[in-house]
Amino acid sequence: MTAIAANLPLTSIITFLPLAGALLLVFFRGESVRAVRTAALAVSLLSFALSLVLFFGFDGRTGVPEFVERASWLGRGIDYHVGVDGISLFLVLLTAFLTPLALLSSWRAVTDRVKEFSFFVLVLETGMIGVFVSLNLFLFYVFWEAMLVPMYFLIGIWGGRRRVYATMKFVLFTMFGSLIMLVGIFVLYSAYHRATGGFSLAISDLAGTVLPPHLQTWLFLAFGLAFAVKIPLFPLHTWLPDAHVEAPTAGSVLLAAVLLKMGAYGFLRLGIPLFPEAAAAFSPALSVLAVIGIIYGGLMALVQKDMKSLVAYSSVSHMGLIMLAVFSLNFEATEGALYQMLNHGLSTGALFLCVGVLYERTHTRLIKDYGGAAARMPVFAALLLAAMLSSAGLPGLNGFVGEILCLFGIFASNKVLAALGVSTVILSAAYLLWLYRRVMHGPLRDPDGRLRDVDRRELAYLVPIVVLIVFMGLFPGTILRKMDGSVARYVESLKIKPKAASSWAIPGQPARAERHVGELER
Amino acid sequence: MSGSWSASVTTFLALAPLLAVVAGALVVLLAEAFMRRANREPLGYVAALALLAAGFFTVRSWDQDLTYFGGRLLLDRFALLLIALFVVIGLAVVLMSLEYAARQGLKLGELCGLLLLAVAGLMIMVSSTDWLVVFLGLEVLSVASYALAGLKRTDRSSSEAAAKYFLMGSFAGAFFVFGLALVFGATGGLGFSAFLGNGTSGPALATAASVGLGLILAALGFKIAIAPFHMWAPDVYEGAPTPVTVFLTFGPKAAGLAVLFRLLAPALKDGRFAAVFSPALSIMAVLTMFAGNLAALRQKSLKRMLAYSSIAHSGYLLVAIVSGDGPSLVFYLVAYLFMNAGAFSVLAAMSGPGVEYTALDDFAGLGRRYPWLAAGLSVFLLSLAGFPPTAGFLAKFYVFSGAVREGHFALAVAAVLASLVSVAYYLKVIVIMYMKEGEGEVAIEAENPALYLVLFLCLFGTVQLGLWPGNLLALIRQALSTGF
Repeated sequence: MTAIAANLPLTSIITFLPLAGALLLVFFRGESVRAVRTAALAVSLLSFALSLVLFFGFDGRTGVPEFVERASWLGRGIDYHVGVDGISLFLVLLTAFLTPLALLSSWRAVTDRVKEFSFFVLVLETGMIGVFVSLNLFLFYVFWEAMLVPMYFLIGIWGGRRRVYATMKFVLFTMFGSLIMLVGIFVLYSAYHRATGGFSLAISDLAGTVLPPHLQTWLFLAFGLAFAVKIPLFPLHTWLPDAHVEAPTAGSVLLAAVLLKMGAYGFLRLGIPLFPEAAAAFSPALSVLAVIGIIYGGLMALVQKDMKSLVAYSSVSHMGLIMLAVFSLNFEATEGALYQMLNHGLSTGALFLCVGVLYERTHTRLIKDYGGAAARMPVFAALLLAAMLSSAGLPGLNGFVGEILCLFGIFASNKVLAALGVSTVILSAAYLLWLYRRVMHGPLRDPDGRLRDVDRRELAYLVPIVVLIVFMGLFPGTILRKMDGSVARYVESLKIKPKAASSWAIPGQPARAERHVGELER
Repeated sequence: MSGSWSASVTTFLALAPLLAVVAGALVVLLAEAFMRRANREPLGYVAALALLAAGFFTVRSWDQDLTYFGGRLLLDRFALLLIALFVVIGLAVVLMSLEYAARQGLKLGELCGLLLLAVAGLMIMVSSTDWLVVFLGLEVLSVASYALAGLKRTDRSSSEAAAKYFLMGSFAGAFFVFGLALVFGATGGLGFSAFLGNGTSGPALATAASVGLGLILAALGFKIAIAPFHMWAPDVYEGAPTPVTVFLTFGPKAAGLAVLFRLLAPALKDGRFAAVFSPALSIMAVLTMFAGNLAALRQKSLKRMLAYSSIAHSGYLLVAIVSGDGPSLVFYLVAYLFMNAGAFSVLAAMSGPGVEYTALDDFAGLGRRYPWLAAGLSVFLLSLAGFPPTAGFLAKFYVFSGAVREGHFALAVAAVLASLVSVAYYLKVIVIMYMKEGEGEVAIEAENPALYLVLFLCLFGTVQLGLWPGNLLALIRQALSTGF
């Protein structure tokens, strides 16, 4: 296995295979819906199969990126440089795992412009995987921004009634954050150039250089804003309920399961390692915001009338816990955060899929329109319950492992915050189980007899998630083992704090005379 | 004897691009006057041929660094790069006009002849560091472009565009000459570097020279459409026939910026000079970006929106001038050439006999009825908005990162925020094309192979430059490595 993997540019193949599939779809006839769907599904499944090869071939003990590919691209430090380590590997897997399910879930929900829909989902997959595998900051940014475009179309064309508003809000919020990050990248680029005389945007190079504290602060804020919007951290979360409620099911699934993780991933990969001192300085403030997010999201979820916005607010709450763990800056919490990112991707993905199943039958998402559905849909009820319990952190399921790791880590760094953070367990149990009771139990409300149990296609996309939920609850070691090396290395890198070289000038007012020899263009 | 013979051959070679274009212009204009056939397409081919010949001679003189007329005309690599761009835009306009002119009742010969003359003016402008020669080029360009803007003689907005352009342009020309007189009086030279050479010994820049330079900058700012000298631009760009708009939004802008760059790149390294002009130019850049983008937000016509977007792009380009970043400037111009021409060519395709559909509502449901056209326009708009992986993103990346590297941090932040504003209106067009259904279905005549060729090449350029600009970047950096 390793021999094959070593010879193939596996990372690139996984990244660009969906894009190639999407371009292939362009040549399909729009009317042959069945062929388009099958082809898109086949491509995404192939991509998932390859990501499994990546998983089994991944060693992870050293903690350095594996399957690294590097090629010069634009010059001056802007290279094509990809690879996976224990932090990104599972997010790649998650993306590759959920994309085929999302495609499968829209076979009945999306009947208009199927070709374009499949095209955008596949392009989105390339963008998402690209973000996780990029080891060059420029490449990271390219994928980060490029990913917005397919999501913009997915929400805007196949979304609900207020889709145009929701998609514009989503794009403008996210772009605001990322454009500020872009300026941060410029500053970092020129700061590196000033310090070393060379050009580099490789993340490892940048993390290896020491920045003066005030520059770190500004850069951390610039990068942090982009990531905080994406997570979303309270109070930047307002785009999320709109986007989620209006997005088609597949869009919601990918948005919740993968796109939100990018914010947390951004902190783990860039925000904290590049600016460790600023991150440490800001971690109390950000932790407080995360706790507010946990409680606020949970309370908001309790009062929602629409199932989708309930799940959306539960995401705000859960991502709050993940961020709290990320800012605890220790081993357990970081590993817990990573694990919880996967859990949240699976359980929230499953919840959105379940809401989609109900919506396809009744064309309403309002909780009050449902009741006693378990009687008509026993299999569905079981699957939904599994997803909910995973989300609420029932022991034996994956959510428990992640939450307990997170809370151990948070407790080690701050006991008050840990105590407040625990409320996520109570709140999520409350709003999810109450939702379950209102929708699945009680008197049956199904005047037109439209509630049927899940069919084979729906089982095909729900069962794999539930299986994984149980598996990850029982055998967390399989996954944690592969993370250990990278997380240990990450935590170690935060502890070493060499004294900042004070001789550096910020790129604010450079003296005109100081021209570096390296600047070739003049 | 043989020495002078070979010298005159090289002189001829150096002037060849210019001669080819001017000769083409004269042939086309004369033929237009005497031609009896109704089908004027051959004239378009002649014009294209002249441009191709100019392109051929441009490439031939690449590595020669020729200068003529006592250094008043110089074909350095910077000039050659820009001349090549002008040839490309000229070709694009000719190809777009072949069918368009027939549909809109324009005389193709007039259009092509004037276009070639305007291109000749651009070529002169960028290949000199002598104020008088630049002025000569500017006037050749201006006269031709006033006429170009008013080609649709039966159309009121086109006539208005021509009149407005002519009046404002004449003022700008007068400013230029007056500024020139002041600069000449203060420094005693007509070269770009005359006042600099004088300035280094003196205690400060002479007031007269400063004022003169300010006037000249204003005149150039008019050509480039920099705020606050941009007021004419939306009306002219909207009123002119669409292929002419493609030319006007790119040609004069690029030439004006090239002159600015030649003038300012060395000058801004001079501390005293930079103290005055660097903040002034920065403020103008910020004003331009925001004036263009904010006004574009409210437009109901795509053509007018693109006109304002063109103003905004002048602002981004000015950022490159302020930071003295030549390679980024040229790269941005190349990227802008493709994405702008591409967007306008979609607009040109949205036409029938005697009618053009430019209102945003006409684009409703385009994604369903003309998927390829809509997809193309989407790519161009996303590129104009600066989404990766298109040329527009890379161009902005280089320009803005150059600004940060040179210490113009606030300028870069303003530019980035202005781009955010621009995203809103570029995406609005996409919303209308894909997310709204059309009520008044517009029927367009799809038969227009030359236009689609332009569209495809622009699309190719926009994507290619976003992904693998390697050769071009190397070429630009090599071209600007000497002399600046």
